[in-house]
Amino acid sequence: MKNCSLALIAMVSMLFTSVALAERLELPKGMGGVADIGTIPCDVFNQMLVVGPQGTRLSLLTWADGYYYARTEKTMDELVAAAKQSGESWDFERLTDHFTEFCAANPEAITRDAVVSLGNELISEAS
Amino acid sequence: MSNSTPAAHPGKSKLWRPPIVGIITFVLMFFAIGLAHTMMVLIEHQLGQELTLKLSPLLGFVGIIMLWYGIKSKNENFQTWIGFFAGIIVWMCWVEFFYMWYGRENWGMLPRMDGADGLTVSGTWPEYMIMGSTVGTLLMMCCFYTFDKDTRCNMFLWFQRKLGLQEGLGVSTKKAKDRNYAIITFMETFFVTWFCYAWNLLCFDPGLVGVDNMFLAVNMGSVFIATIWSGFCFMRLIKFKRTSTALRYAIPVGNVFWINVEILGKFGMLTEIWVNPWKYTLEMSVMFAAFVVLIILLLMAPKKKSEVGGWNEQTESTG
Repeated sequence: MKNCSLALIAMVSMLFTSVALAERLELPKGMGGVADIGTIPCDVFNQMLVVGPQGTRLSLLTWADGYYYARTEKTMDELVAAAKQSGESWDFERLTDHFTEFCAANPEAITRDAVVSLGNELISEAS
Repeated sequence: MSNSTPAAHPGKSKLWRPPIVGIITFVLMFFAIGLAHTMMVLIEHQLGQELTLKLSPLLGFVGIIMLWYGIKSKNENFQTWIGFFAGIIVWMCWVEFFYMWYGRENWGMLPRMDGADGLTVSGTWPEYMIMGSTVGTLLMMCCFYTFDKDTRCNMFLWFQRKLGLQEGLGVSTKKAKDRNYAIITFMETFFVTWFCYAWNLLCFDPGLVGVDNMFLAVNMGSVFIATIWSGFCFMRLIKFKRTSTALRYAIPVGNVFWINVEILGKFGMLTEIWVNPWKYTLEMSVMFAAFVVLIILLLMAPKKKSEVGGWNEQTESTG
């Protein structure tokens, strides 16, 4: 009986977990932008750039900052500072130009690919 | 549009009688709104977005110079045309383009997204999100016109009657000949455009009206009100004889009716050809040609003496 109860609890928990995982993160209704800009198609990113160029760039750069920290335990500032030593300085324009150029060339990719591509370039420039 | 003497008395013309004047001014105004959208797209395309946004404060002064020239004129008809075009130019440059710079560039705002997956860029771009927030300022200005005894706008006069203000405010100290129709038409064009934009933007804001059924209900209600309101005003407009008065009255009639166009566009029920002039070159060329012909017709239309400088005759209530 005890085993059955545990199994039932486990099943219900799994059901709720899967429901929670299936839910998409949504922004409050009136806001602009998307909740998870690192996972959108580059094609959508390109369209957002037309009418919100600076905000769209900043939004993905902020996402990239978190992504790089999770992967390397280094902040964007630290990565940029390291990369700076061996070449042209990385400012907001140059960093985000990398995203826009990548997505313009690869509209079928997702924005995370652009973030990974920039990360690789920063790391390769630092080494 | 010079200070010429009237070609003929409108009462003697067989063509320029109601409802011709009203219908022509309404169609003209309706086309003018579409073409103003096209003009913005063309300016942006020709100058590039960056240069357009930088030049827009200066371009707005073109409208102010026109207004200055119009205000000096004694010709009501000329004043009305100048006020109308100056209003459109100033709205375009000092509001639309300037908000565009603020929203897209300076503040780095993102467009509102639409669609089931939230990955479709909606028509609510950063500049329109800013514009929606100006509704409080708009209402404050509407309070001024509601409580101003010299206002001649029919809507505010109606408010004054319903609020029992007319006795307290007293009789207007200004007569028709004391009014400068360049600044009146300029302000009217500006405020009517602002009002209609705010109306549409508030109804399109999912943060205010929600989504799905509520969104549909609010916007269908909006279509109903806009159709009834503009229809009522159109019935009045077609009784007008004076082209200057009809032109001023047609500004709100055309704009309020245009609210339906924006809503139908939002629901994908019509193609907004006026924002894609490259794709719909023939259609927009025809629209532009018709607009020019309508302007010429109105300029050639016989005018009362009071419209071109003389104030000996009784005028209709002004827009």
